[in-house]
Amino acid sequence: MNGHAAQDAKLEQIIRTILKIGVGTSSAFLAVGLVWSLTSAGSATAATLMTVGLLILMATPISRVAASVFEYTIQRDWLFVLLTTIVLLEIVASVIAALVFHRKL
Amino acid sequence: MAVTPALTVLILGAGVVAGAFGATLGLGGGIFLVPFLNLAVGLPITVAAAISLTTVIATSSSVSAARAGHRLINLRLGMALEVATAAGSLGGGITAQLLSEDTIRRLFAVMMGIIALLMLRTLNQRVTIPGTSVDPGVLGGRFDDPQSGGMVAYRVKRLPLALFMSFIAGNVSSLLGIGGGVIKVPVLNAWCGIPLRAAAATSAFMIGVTATAGAIIYYGNGQLIPALAAAAVLGVQAGSWLGLRIGERASNRALKIVMAAVMLVVAAIMAVRGQR
Repeated sequence: MNGHAAQDAKLEQIIRTILKIGVGTSSAFLAVGLVWSLTSAGSATAATLMTVGLLILMATPISRVAASVFEYTIQRDWLFVLLTTIVLLEIVASVIAALVFHRKL
Repeated sequence: MAVTPALTVLILGAGVVAGAFGATLGLGGGIFLVPFLNLAVGLPITVAAAISLTTVIATSSSVSAARAGHRLINLRLGMALEVATAAGSLGGGITAQLLSEDTIRRLFAVMMGIIALLMLRTLNQRVTIPGTSVDPGVLGGRFDDPQSGGMVAYRVKRLPLALFMSFIAGNVSSLLGIGGGVIKVPVLNAWCGIPLRAAAATSAFMIGVTATAGAIIYYGNGQLIPALAAAAVLGVQAGSWLGLRIGERASNRALKIVMAAVMLVVAAIMAVRGQR
């Protein structure tokens, strides 16, 4: 039997909140930055706003994985603590790969 | 290429169109956006893929935020398969930095052709209805399915196959800038016993993490142009919103046939261009 229904429902709500906030704030940054860049070409502020928007966008799925690690730890569900931690480490690995390629340029 | 306001607005518009078709066909916008950015706008395919991946993250996050709470997304299965998709995505992102423009373009053409043919094959798709008294086990799930009139429970079969295909999907996703659901969903549904709606929702949930692992590599390599990604993300968001509303009224069958034909033509153009 799937005995995790109640905890899973709680995690689903947490994830829902994280995704909503992430999409909402990143879209706001991207929209303001984009409109700004269209009205004053070459604006450094506009470029910063859009970059921040993209970083928030990329941080959104990472945050929900991190929240899952935390939530599964509370539940003492070690298998899923392990799985979600591996996913986080894989994202860290892609940051490292990004730095390696960055240095090559 | 200089980022002009005209180019930004063009990409915003392309995002709306790609998002609308993507949402209507259940494909996601990337499969349309990447060829447009590459062939019509003339961006390198890595730059096109990077932009497209950011739209995948946005679509995954907003779609999953709307769906979460209905038990349709199988969180545990998604998180288990993410181990494989993120590893694949890491591999695909690195591969993209090593392959030539022509090679990636040819691979995209092949993938696009496969997707078009798959779409034609599923024209008369019938929804498989699993039993309601199955013990879902650790990775299975249950959800309320109005189409079969009640709670549906399912067990995950052939987990190694699901993991393997997720790994492949992750690779393809990062390398080509698409979500990869088109690879995972048919396998999860046909071979692993997961009802189509749950498979699609779980895949859409996973691709945010998959695309992020890939997008980070492109971003670090300076291939993610903020203004163009911002335009594409906002366009695709608006387009998917429109697509979900128009899609219910449009004839899905006719649209699928037309779009499959368009995709085959675009795939052929991409393949030929790649041989220069």
